[in-house]
Order: sequence, then C-alpha cells, then structure tokens
Amino acid sequence: MEHILSLIVFFPLIAGLFGLVVNKENIKTFGIAVALVEFIFSIILWIGFDSTNAGYQFVQYVALIPQFGVSYYLGVDGISLFLVVLSTLMTLISLVGLNIKKDIKNLVITILFLEMTLVGVFLSLDMILFYIFWELSLIPMLYIIGAWGSGQRVYAAIKFFLYTFAGSALMLVGILYLGYQYYLATGTWSFAVPDWYLLVLPFNTQLWLFGAFFLAFAVKVPMFPFHTWLPYAHGQAPTIGSVLLAAVMLKMGTYAFIRFSLPFFPDASVYFLYPVAIVATIMVIYAAMVAYAQKDMKQVIAYSSISHMGIIILGTFAMNAEGLTGSIFLMLSHGIVSGALFMLVGVIYDRRHTKLMSEFGGLATVMPRYAAIFGVLMMAAVGLPLTIGFVGEFLSLLGFYRVSWIITLFAGSGIILGAVYMLTLFRKSFFGKVTNEKNKNLKDLDKREFTALIPLVALVVILGVYPKPILSTIDLSVKKMINLMERKALLPDTKEFLVKVNSIGGTK
Amino acid sequence: MITLTHYLVLSGILFSIGIVGVLRRKNLLMLFFSTEILLNAVNIGFAAVSKYYGDLSGQIFSFFIIAIAASEVAVGLGLLVLWYKRSGTIDLDSLQMMKG
Amino acid sequence: MEKYLYVALFAPLVGSLFSLLFTAQKKNVITALVTSGLLLLSFVSSLSLMYAVHSDMIIHVKMMDWISAGNLNLPFGFVVDNVSVVMMVTVTLVSSIVNIYSMGYMMHDKGYNRFFTYISAFVFSMLILVMSDNFIGLFIGWEGVGLCSYLLIGFWYEKDTASWAGNEAFIMNRVADLGMLMGLFLIYWQFGSFEYDVVFAHIGGINPAVVTTIGLLLFIGAMGKSAQFPFHTWLADAMEGPTPVSALIHAATMVTAGVYLIIRASALFSLVPEVGHVIATLGAFVAVFAASMALVNRDLKRIIAYSTLSQLGYMFVAAGLGAYWIALFHLMTHAFFKSLLFLGAGNIMHAMDDELDIKKMGGLFNAMPYTAILMAVASVALCGIYPFAGYFSKDMILAAAFNGGNYYIWAALFIGAGMTAFYSFRLIMMVFFGDKVYKKLGFHPHETYPFVLWTLLPLGILSTIAGFFEHPFEEFTTRLLSKYDFSFSHTTEIGLIFLTLTFVILVVLATIYKYGRGGFSKQIETMPLYILLKNQYFIPKIYETMIFRPYYVLSRFAWKQIDVRIIDFTVDLIAKILYLLGQRSRKMQSGNLSDMLRWMVVGIVVLLALAIFYRPGM
Repeated sequence: MEHILSLIVFFPLIAGLFGLVVNKENIKTFGIAVALVEFIFSIILWIGFDSTNAGYQFVQYVALIPQFGVSYYLGVDGISLFLVVLSTLMTLISLVGLNIKKDIKNLVITILFLEMTLVGVFLSLDMILFYIFWELSLIPMLYIIGAWGSGQRVYAAIKFFLYTFAGSALMLVGILYLGYQYYLATGTWSFAVPDWYLLVLPFNTQLWLFGAFFLAFAVKVPMFPFHTWLPYAHGQAPTIGSVLLAAVMLKMGTYAFIRFSLPFFPDASVYFLYPVAIVATIMVIYAAMVAYAQKDMKQVIAYSSISHMGIIILGTFAMNAEGLTGSIFLMLSHGIVSGALFMLVGVIYDRRHTKLMSEFGGLATVMPRYAAIFGVLMMAAVGLPLTIGFVGEFLSLLGFYRVSWIITLFAGSGIILGAVYMLTLFRKSFFGKVTNEKNKNLKDLDKREFTALIPLVALVVILGVYPKPILSTIDLSVKKMINLMERKALLPDTKEFLVKVNSIGGTK
Repeated sequence: MITLTHYLVLSGILFSIGIVGVLRRKNLLMLFFSTEILLNAVNIGFAAVSKYYGDLSGQIFSFFIIAIAASEVAVGLGLLVLWYKRSGTIDLDSLQMMKG
Repeated sequence: MEKYLYVALFAPLVGSLFSLLFTAQKKNVITALVTSGLLLLSFVSSLSLMYAVHSDMIIHVKMMDWISAGNLNLPFGFVVDNVSVVMMVTVTLVSSIVNIYSMGYMMHDKGYNRFFTYISAFVFSMLILVMSDNFIGLFIGWEGVGLCSYLLIGFWYEKDTASWAGNEAFIMNRVADLGMLMGLFLIYWQFGSFEYDVVFAHIGGINPAVVTTIGLLLFIGAMGKSAQFPFHTWLADAMEGPTPVSALIHAATMVTAGVYLIIRASALFSLVPEVGHVIATLGAFVAVFAASMALVNRDLKRIIAYSTLSQLGYMFVAAGLGAYWIALFHLMTHAFFKSLLFLGAGNIMHAMDDELDIKKMGGLFNAMPYTAILMAVASVALCGIYPFAGYFSKDMILAAAFNGGNYYIWAALFIGAGMTAFYSFRLIMMVFFGDKVYKKLGFHPHETYPFVLWTLLPLGILSTIAGFFEHPFEEFTTRLLSKYDFSFSHTTEIGLIFLTLTFVILVVLATIYKYGRGGFSKQIETMPLYILLKNQYFIPKIYETMIFRPYYVLSRFAWKQIDVRIIDFTVDLIAKILYLLGQRSRKMQSGNLSDMLRWMVVGIVVLLALAIFYRPGM
C-alpha cells in the first residue's frame, strides 16, 4: 500500500505504452481492462483510506531537485480521494461506452494518458508537480478534440488549449513567486503544499497571488466571463471527450480553489469573497438562461455545466464545512450526472448524427428505456432530493446562506432556471408525437450503452439516498482545512468571519 | 602624449565605421571587411585597456579574437565562394531563403 | 409498532418498484392488483397506527443517517403522531380507492403499468412528506410528489398540452420551493437542526422578526404546492392528466400539502399571528377568486379544479387563523368529497369519450344514474349542506373567521360559499339534467363498470357521514395541535349557521330552478365580467406575455448578443490581435541579412540604453 498512489498515477501511462503493441481489434478491450484495474486500485485506495484521519495519507515523498525544493510528493486526503475515484470511474465508463472506430488505438492510449494526468493533478502535493500534471492534461484533450471532433474541431481544440494555457501561465509565475516568498521566510526552498500551508503571507502579497491563481482556475472552471471555450469544446468534442471534460477536467479548477486558493490566501479569499460570489451568481443565472436558448442538446448540457459550476464556487466560498463539503460533493455528483448526460446525447448522436432538438420529438415512444434513463439523470441534474444532485446543491446553498442570504436567493434561482431548460429539453426531444420520419425506427439502448449507463444511474440513486460515508470523509478534511485557514488568518476580520460562518445561531 | 582616451576614441571610430559598413554594404565581401573592422576596433580597445591596467588578460583576449576572426574569415570566405559558384552573385539581397 | 410504520411507508414503494419492472411490457393486470394490494396494506397499517396513536402512543423512528456535514446531522426520521396519522389514513385511503378505480379507468391505456408505478411512487412520496420528523424529510416528499405530479400530468406525453402543463406545474412549484428552501436555510442557521422537535422547542427564544421571515418563506412554499394565488395557474392546467390523478393528487392529497405544512409548523405560525393573518387573507381571497372562475367555466374538470383551489383557500383561512384542527378536518373531508367528484367526472369522461365541455352533455342522468347520485352527494357535501361532511368543516371555518373578528374574511368566505353552491349545481344540472345535447353530437354514454362504482361507494359514504366525527376528531388532533376556542355565544353560533345554511340552500335552489329552465341566455357571454372570468382574469395570458416570452427573448439575447457577440468576440479579438501582430511583424523576418543586422543594432542600442538608464530598486 505504500506505493499505491504512484501506482494509481502511473499505471495508466505504463499500460498505455504497452497498448502501443496491442493490435487494433483488441485495443478497446485492453483499454477497458486497464481502466478497470485502475478503478479497482482507486477502490482499494478508498478501502485502505482511514476515514478518521483528516490529514494526508499514503504520502510518498522523493526529493527531485533538493536545491530548489522540488519534489515528487503525492498524498491523498478526504478532499481529493473521491475526485480520484471519480476520475478513474468516469474513464472506465467512458471507455465502455466508446463507439469510435477511427484511429481507435491512438484514442484509447490518449485516454489512458489523460487519466494519468487527471489523477496526478488530484494527488500532487508539490506545486511544480501539480503544475506539470495540470498542463499535461491539456495535451490529450487537445488531441481528442482536434482529431476525433466534428465540425470546427481544430478551432475548438486550439481555443480550448490556448485559453486554458494562457490562464495558467500566470499561475506559474504565482507559483514561482510563492516559492521565492517561502525561501525568503524560511531560508530553504520548498514547493510542497503542506509547507506552504504554514506560510503566512502579508495581506498585499496574498491579494496579488490570489489573483494570479484565480485566473488559471477561473478559466478552467470555467467562470463567467472566461467560459466561452467550453461550448465550443463540448460542441465539437467526441462523446468521450465531452464526458471526461465535463466530468473530471472542470473539477480541476474548483478542486484547486479548495486545495490552494483558500488555505494559501485566507485573507485574500475572504477579501475577494463578494466579487467572486457575485460572479458565480451571474454565472448560475446567465448560463442557465443561455442554456435555455440553445437549440443543440449538447450545448444545453454544456451551459448547464457552467451553471452548476457556479454553485460549486459558491459552496467553496461559503468557507464553512457545510458549503465546502457540499461543493466537493457537488463536484462528484455533477461529474457523474453531466458525464452521463453527455453519454446520452452521444447515444442519440450516434443514431441520428444530429443533436438539434428540433430534429427530435416523441423519442419517449420510440426509445422508452433511453427516455427513462435520461429522465432519471435529468432529475438528478435539476437537484431532486434523493438523487445525487440534491445533496451537493443543497449543502452548497445552505452554506452560502450563512454568508449572504441575498446572493443565495439569486443563486438559488438556478434551481428554477435549471428546471426550465432541462424540462424544456426533455419535452422538446422526448415528448410529443414522433413527427420526424427518421426517428420512427430508432433502436433503443443496446447492451454496450446499458453497461455504461446503468452504473451511473445506480450511483445517482444510491449516493442520493446514502451520501453519508462520502460526506463524512470529506467533511473531516474540510474541517481541518478551515481550522488551518482560521489559524493562519492575518486580519482579525477574517478570523471573525470564519468563526461566524462556521457557527450556528445569532443574527440573520 | 597619447592617452587611453585616444585609443578608445579610435576604437569607437573604427567600430562606428564597421557598423555603418555592416548596415549599408550589400556586397558580402565588403560585409566581411566591415566585420573585420568591428572586431579589430574591439581588439584595439582590449589591448589599450589591458596596457592601461597592466593586466594581460585583455591582450590575451584580443589574441583569441584575432584567431577566431581568422577562422571565421576562412570559413566565411569558403561559404562565399560556394555561394558565388551556385548563384553567380555575392549580393546580399540574393540571400533571402530565411524569409518569414 | 415500528413495524407498522415501515409497512405503511414502504409498501407503496415496493408496489412502485414492482410495477416498474413491467413498464416496458404490455398491459398487465398484475401490476394494478399488486399495487392496489400494497396500498390497501399501507392503509390498514395506517389505521392500526391510528389506533395506536389514539391510545397515546407516538411512534418516532430514526431510520438511518442521511447527510452530515459541518454542524448538520440529518437522519431519515419518521414520526407518527396525531397529525401525521390523520394524513396517512386519508392519503392511503383515497389512493387505494383511486388505484382500484384506475383499474377500470385506465383499462385500455397503453401506459397501464407505468401509471400504477407512478401512482404508488406518488403515495410513497406523500407518506414521506407527512411522516417525516424534520423539514428536510418533508422537503424530500415535497419534491417527490412534485415529480410524480409532473410525470402524471404529462402522462399522455404525446399530447403537447399535457407535457406543457407538466412542465408548468413543476417549474412553478420550483419557484415556490426556492422560497421554502430559503426558509429552511434560515431555520438551519438559527437552530442548527431541521427536526421539528428541536426547532419548535427553541422557537420561543428567537427574534420574532426572524420567526416572521421563516413563517413567510415557508408559506411561499405552501402557496406553490397548494396552488394559491399567484401560483394557481398550474393547477387548472394540470387537469391534462388522467382523471384519477386529478382526484388523487390535484384534489385530495398533494395540493393539501401546503396546508399540512402550516399545520405541522403550527408551533411556529402561532407565534406570529401577523403571518397567520396574511395567510388567512390570501386564503379568503383565493376562496372567492377561484370560485369566481369556476362560475363560468365550461370544462368539467377545470370547474372542479377551481373548486379545489377555492376550498384550499378555506383551509388556509382556518390554518392562518390558528384553527389548525379545523383546517385539518376540512382537509380530510374535502379529500373525500372532492376525490369523489373527480372520479365521478372520470366516469362521465369515459362515457363521453373524453369530452369535457359540459355544454355538450346534459341529461346524462338516465344513462348513468349511479354516477349522478354519487356526484350529487359530493356536490352537496362540497356546498356544506347539513348533514353532509362539508357542512361541519366548512361551517366551522366560517365561524372561526367570524370569531376572530375578521369580518371581511368571513364575508368573503360567505360569498365563496354561495358561489360554490352555484357552480356545483350548475355543473350537476348541466351534465345530468336538461336537454340531451350529447345525442345530437353522437355520443353513446353508458354507466361504467360496476366494480368501479363499488369502489366509489366508500367515498360516498364518507362524504355523507364524515362530519359526525367532528368531536372525536377534535379531541384526537388537539392532543397535539393547539385548541381553538369559540368565544361567541351559542345564539350567535346558531344564527351564523342558520344564515349560511339558508343562503347556500337558496342559491342551490335558485341554480336548480334557473338551469332547470334552460339556464342563462347567450347574452351573458358578452358581459365584460363574464369575459374576464372566462379568461381567468387574463392571468395565464399575462404570465405568457410578461414572463415566459420575455424570458425566452432575454435568453436568446444573452446567448446571441452577450455570449457570442460580446464575450466570445472579445476572446477571439484578443487572439486575432495577436495573430495580426504576428502577421505584421513577420515582415521583419525578411531573410535579408542587412535587415537582420539593422534589427540587431536596434536591439543592441535598446539593451545598452536599458543597461545604462534602468536601475532597479531606485
């Protein structure tokens, strides 16, 4: 178990390299097998994880460049554990649902490479290592969109790449500067996250660094107004690309907020709380509106992702255990739900080669099973209680209510507007009479699609009814982090704020 | 009395001549001459300053430069001849293969 | 007794999951039989629970932990007490009857199995709603019934209007739910818990302004679910669903959830009478407002739907004035006679091939006498004529309004009662008596299956006699709810009863007389008031033009103008500028050696200048 984290990170890469010698017919099976083994590893990690320990577990530390404190440093805690499991799960599921014949070998190997980078991002405890994985993750996605996409795929791929890359350039500067600050404060170089947690920065420095990190994360999330790469990327990406992009890659940004922005710069985070929260609220409402205006099913779901990410940001910046735990849970639930929804759109796209809602109508009659599964996931997407979508959304909003009721009210309108665009989508595509001749003989879900979707539907229900084991594990690490923020907060206002939002009772 | 300043002024004048030559001349051969002037302007500076401080390393450095300039000219003239054989001209404007 | 609780709660779920297995297959009676059996089982368990509660036993279980984060610890907890057990019995009774009735009603529908899946799922959600021991549990049920309502309104999803109505119901409820959710958040941050026990135990120590806010926010939620103004439009449109659904969900059970919420949180609402006053006023307004729309409508089901709205207004008046047990009592009696009325309407629809326009009916009495009698009983009960059930409950609401000194509320309810009498008997007269218009239109109505009629009988009996349980009911429920004392004298009471009863009976007689002789002339349809009522005060149209369409236009604008034209354009602009800069500056790279040398010199000069003039730290 000592090396399990390294195993989880590099197994897909090594297996992917072996994949080069596997022939074309067997590569999909091979890919699924690798992803399955990887998933089992992550489950073993979960089982081995001590859920009463809030700190980092299975830590692995190898100094790489000791002079500059760069190290190979992995560790997992309650915050990252489930995101790792989510990554491996969604990779597995998306490979099972894979339905591409062209250059399949390259695709599978790319996906495995992507899996490595995603897991690496969530497990890195060294900022340089983190940055490497963060940027590396762009390359496979660029390739996936650019090579297997549709329509304006090159434009979309390059836009995606350059936009996110430009965003993170500033983060690199921030990382280096922060490393230098650490050197000034302690006399030794270190890029290890736990070391940096202990570093108390002057308020002004915090503000600047917060900004530098913020831009990178905001583009990745994506936050309004840095979101326009997302609809293009989703619109042109193949199904498997969209699934991984929505389910896991977007979570890198929000994860980074929780892992880095809040504990590194507690004062700046509190200082910027309202601007960020307002942007997040705009994002929720605005993206929901734009989603409503879309004609393309996939774009609806793409914009709905933006809307949900807004709620995640709000939960994060509630800075209390309720909100933070909720936002991490919402990341998981959004990963599962949006991933599944993108797969569902892929199902119909495979059959009809169009995603326009106006082309459909009455699908519930032709494809009842498909409609039923779509319905369940739609309900999860609009946050119906006892589905996975409710728990996170509820907790995030609940948490933020403590900070500001009025912002919560506006952001809460997301649950209304979410219902508006989702139900409209469902009505336009599934209800009514089958008017289009081409839809009359569509096949319902086949075995491959079922195998991919059923686990997700099951998770949607199971985790909706019994989220506690996951929540309490997350909660423990989150509380530890809040405690840390409170201890290292520089300004009395920040301290006061953190105490206030984490306690019951008192004023309105 | 010729002071250090005189040498440096001379070096500067030579350097300027070299620069102008490099910028203005279109003939590759003239270009080589100009570079030689540039290098030797620097050599004069080195030698003069070396003498002034009584530190030999400046003069050693100028030897280096002379050696390198010689080899540079050898190689450069070789290339030039090759180019002349190929294109029949040693005009600078004929060399535009690296156009962006 | 816990066993009974779990049986009562989970039997419908089992039924739902069971018939879920059959949804993809052809019609299978077994789904109907199994779900009916399980619903009856749930009913029997509820009855035995009621017996247990009657002997002063309150069953409170914590099933398992659900959410825990931060200070929040939220288990699935269920409580069976005097209030929830009444609801349980009502819900399971009506739903059993409706389920059995549907075996006849849905007999030839291709969504047969699916229908029973939904109905049982609905009952399960409704039971969660009423049995939960905390606000979030209630909210789960709340959303669950909303979902089932959505699915059942849009049951015939091929019909465009049906799926639209489903969406409308769901979304409008969501609007109100947001208000409720805000209330719940406020509760949490005040009390640190969602459990009724904890919240109500500490409610006294909270700033009254906060309690008022909580009360108002919860009431917004209640308004949505109970379709009170301004959220009322969805209920009339919800009549697109199958009629048993209208009977069960949109008359007897789900729409009363809002009233139930007020009753459940009576400890909270009794602290803030101002909020209660708001509730009562709005209730009285809706009682008249909805009844007035029922006066002129020609759609059989919509008339009953508006009637439901109006009766919900009555319940809110009672609940708002602190007469919680009376509200609950009216809720129960109303469930009986209103579902009977709807199910009777279902029989008519079946007989008339789903025709809903009452102008096309008339004289159906001969064709379907039993339905006619049952519906007449229900209507009499609805009007509140002695000794039928509605008399007891409705009369007490009027008395309570008078008692509190809220004479304008009383007056509104009084007028509402008259309207109720009018539209009920207008419906009866136009459907069952008068000219046989249907013959000209080629309908061949016939009475429905006998077993269906038999299932309606219990409802008929209950509509007749339920009122006599007034005193046991009061005794039973006021063990938990606060008592309500009438302060006026016996003579006043008699006088009030006499006044109301006479008025109602007069209206009934006048209606029968008028419609017995052919009804009103065509002229009346040109009156502005008629047009106003006919168009439902133009409210659906206002919503359409002021909210739905502008929202779409705004959304299009956000997408086409803001997203594409401004934000994305800016992003691309930056890229384009960079590209253009590259285009321009590539000329530098002319490949000409002397150009390069010139640039090199420029670079040297710049660097030299920097080296000479730039002094960092100065």
